[in-house]
Amino acid sequence: MSIAFKTDEIFRDGFRYANSDAAILRFPFPFVEDSYMYSVNIEPHVRGGPTPAFDAVLDIDEHYIGECRERALVLAQDPNRCMVLPHMMAAQWDTLELIMESLAADYPDHFQLGKDGDRWTWRNRLLNIEDSFVFGAPETLPFEPFEYITRQMQGDFTLQDQRDGNLYMDGGMVTSQADWSLEFDLGMTFHEWHGPVPLAHDLGVFDRALQYLLRLQYGRPVRRLNWTMTVNPRLDTSPENYPLWGPDRTTVTPENVGDKLHLRVELQTLYRLPRSNAILFSVRAYLASMNELARVPKWGRRLHRVLRDIDPALEDYKGLGRYRRMAIEHLAQFDDGAPTGKGIAPEVDVLPA
Amino acid sequence: MNDQGIKSRPAYAPLARDPVGRTHLLVADSMAIPHAAFAPGTSLGDYDECWTVEGHSRAIPSAMPDARMHGFRSASHLLIALRRRLAMEYMGFRLYAIGTEAFLWDVAAAAEAAGMGKEEYALFHAGSGARRVLCVHCRTLNQGVTTNLVACGGCGAALFVRDHFSRRLNAYMGVQVDAEMPGERPDVEEIYR
Repeated sequence: MSIAFKTDEIFRDGFRYANSDAAILRFPFPFVEDSYMYSVNIEPHVRGGPTPAFDAVLDIDEHYIGECRERALVLAQDPNRCMVLPHMMAAQWDTLELIMESLAADYPDHFQLGKDGDRWTWRNRLLNIEDSFVFGAPETLPFEPFEYITRQMQGDFTLQDQRDGNLYMDGGMVTSQADWSLEFDLGMTFHEWHGPVPLAHDLGVFDRALQYLLRLQYGRPVRRLNWTMTVNPRLDTSPENYPLWGPDRTTVTPENVGDKLHLRVELQTLYRLPRSNAILFSVRAYLASMNELARVPKWGRRLHRVLRDIDPALEDYKGLGRYRRMAIEHLAQFDDGAPTGKGIAPEVDVLPA
Repeated sequence: MNDQGIKSRPAYAPLARDPVGRTHLLVADSMAIPHAAFAPGTSLGDYDECWTVEGHSRAIPSAMPDARMHGFRSASHLLIALRRRLAMEYMGFRLYAIGTEAFLWDVAAAAEAAGMGKEEYALFHAGSGARRVLCVHCRTLNQGVTTNLVACGGCGAALFVRDHFSRRLNAYMGVQVDAEMPGERPDVEEIYR
């Protein structure tokens, strides 16, 4: 299906962002049932899922051009949002190869990759980029390979080196994160960088997730969904810029909560890389307002129930404290008490006008 | 507030000489090394050399009567000699550090830079609990923080000291406490002494 790419979106003050009906219907809604608690909800990243967001190896949608432009803005203002430790160069090339090959295969109208031995030519028609370079020779690209290719992607990426029976976050491109800092966490072990997450340590979630990921195999990527809420369609909710976006949380009112409050879902995918044996972690974020999501009747009902019954520790961690009551009261109008079908699929093909 | 439940904060166990090591160097940022720094049944005497900090400008390393003991002027002075020493060491060398957290992770960084693995050095926290706090907004390092809140020396933000610790940066994270609502702050308490 062809994508109608938007070209004028703004993800910071002056916001200009909305989802088309098609984008709402393909939204990776994260709640499989009417309540939510942490789990190691990892599954094979195979093509196809409850919505078309799961159809490609790396998903591109109508917000691609605006999100790439937002990333360039963040990097211009803070170059340390992309950092890779020196021993990760093989993983940088692995990343470039995985992304170029998957985009060219999944979206041939928009991306083309030509190879003549080590001489590669990359065309990105959406961003009007065409570069020829020598695979393995960083000096033939305008940026180091990891930064070069992730500047042309929606979503954040981190590189995990595997050694000593652990994973180390030794690189990343992180400009649209849910309140964690790559610069601060760079070089940390799996348990260290998850340190601030409440409850899950005691549930053993991270011990089991680490054991699972250490065994991740090349060619068999896995995925999970994660979520939080964001006031305004803001991508850069970093700790670095918390003084800029923190005040947003005090601007929610009963009148504007339906349009202002966004569910932010991360489609997280993990890939074993062939040369470096590192793991590439892709965090592809999707934003939709309460009112956009409630156009899918099942999702409106379920969102109301999940927010109403959430664990208090999660309320705090996900930053819901200032506006959860307003969100619940607003969403109540979409919850008629009817049962909801299992799983996340929207169960409608067309949205009511 | 002292334990925020964050799991990146390092935990330290008392030191014991690694039986498979060949040479054992102990470094400390104070002359006052507590007994609690050593595992039961072990002591300072188990180490081939002990480098400490005397804290005055006339100190000359290796002038002590006990040839195993070396006294430096400051932690910085000691770290210069340590980096040189590490560059000349071989397999089987073991390094042990006792002191403030900032000192411990400066030692660890020197060890890692010299190619030592995690199993080749050991750290024990003693002395002041003051923290080195990185302002996540402007990246200024604020030294010797003993309170839950500190005014950043770089950007002036009122920083809350999170328990989230980066070994690479040797610092705790400082995050503006009243970013959402200016002036909405908890009371200042001295908790890292």
